[in-house]
Amino acid sequence: MSSNFKSVLFAIVLCIVCSLLLTMASSGLKGYQLRNINLDRQKNLLRSVGLIDDQRNNMPEYIEKLYSEKIKSLWVDPSGRIVKETERAQKDLPIYLFIEENVVEAYIVPIDAQGLWGKINGYLAINKDGSTITGFTVYKHAETPGLGGEIERSWFQKNFEGKKIVNKEGKFVSISIARGAVRDVIQKDLQLNFVDGISGATLTGKFLSASMKDILKEYEPVSVKFRHHMVKENAGNNSAAN
Amino acid sequence: MRRTETKILKVIFEPIWKNNPVMIQILGICSSLAVTVQLQTAIVMAIALTLVVAFSNLAVSVMRNVIPRNIRIIAELCIVATLVIIADELLKAFMYDISKQLSVFVGLIITNCIVMGRAESFALANPPLLSFLDGIGNGVGYGSVLIAVAFIRELLGSGKLLGFDVIPRAFYLSGYENMGFMLLAPAAFIIIGLLVWLQRTLINK
Repeated sequence: MSSNFKSVLFAIVLCIVCSLLLTMASSGLKGYQLRNINLDRQKNLLRSVGLIDDQRNNMPEYIEKLYSEKIKSLWVDPSGRIVKETERAQKDLPIYLFIEENVVEAYIVPIDAQGLWGKINGYLAINKDGSTITGFTVYKHAETPGLGGEIERSWFQKNFEGKKIVNKEGKFVSISIARGAVRDVIQKDLQLNFVDGISGATLTGKFLSASMKDILKEYEPVSVKFRHHMVKENAGNNSAAN
Repeated sequence: MRRTETKILKVIFEPIWKNNPVMIQILGICSSLAVTVQLQTAIVMAIALTLVVAFSNLAVSVMRNVIPRNIRIIAELCIVATLVIIADELLKAFMYDISKQLSVFVGLIITNCIVMGRAESFALANPPLLSFLDGIGNGVGYGSVLIAVAFIRELLGSGKLLGFDVIPRAFYLSGYENMGFMLLAPAAFIIIGLLVWLQRTLINK
């Protein structure tokens, strides 16, 4: 047997053994991983409306219970009307409602944005007044750790709390990430529509701002309904946002 | 019998102090800068690396007589990569928060010079048990440096250890401040440098 043939044979056998091991590991652990990913998503959703904070170690059972009690997920069509999950069309948008004692306290918009290096996934929660942001969280991104990756840190996300997606006249302007500290670079009457930027991550901020604007524009019909107090009671029935 | 015993002890303990992979051979510096901001991530990283080195040494050593010499590096790499991916999958399944914090650095164990270095220079020439122990020794040697650096950085940088506050409130009230510099990568460089200095001084005594 020539030595070349032996090498090739060895390589093939090694590859097969290694790939078998990897397949076993990946399929065997998939269930646990999916549960973790789902839990992390729910945790972020709850965090965006301030139901849990980062500091405490939240038990999985507690998160699942809180999520099923307080959060309701539904679909709206582009004009802001609720559609049934079974009848939903391609263009319909997912939205989450935060319900406390049968009152919608806030609605949560999934932010599936384009970052500099890949997708940024997170949630933006907006108060029932339809204009004030109550929280922003990121649960998945591919930005550079230490630079754009700072978007997952609480100092950056805390910036969003209390900011508005509308200007002084009540017109929709979205929320943008400034180049530097808002206090220094944005004129006073616009400061409510900007959050502090991350140094070294100007492009991540630019991309995220642009995506957020597009996404919030799509959800604007829903926001308008909230702004005009057209959402009164809980979403237990489909008339909530009619 | 005595001779094998002393050899085993030597294989385990030499890399922990006298021939430490980080401090003497200056290997694995990149990850020691990255994951030592907190003690918890450093400990998990130390355990993951120890397991990977130990088992890759074991696997390479078991196959040392069948691995064709001309493709041995690729074969070693293949074994190491498989083990690292399995470790990563395990972390994602059972320690999701920590695996998020470690992010790419678990995957980068593959490129950690310690793993390939031990496979190439030790496991290819020694029997399985000895190679396995050599892996443990090197992993612990690497891990102990990581933990020492993380201990200093977390204590001085955020006033915590393993996430618990350890600096009394009274300190802060009387003007003590956390050293923000410790949270940045250059701080780890300086600490490792000082540790190397300290260790060489102690060894040469």
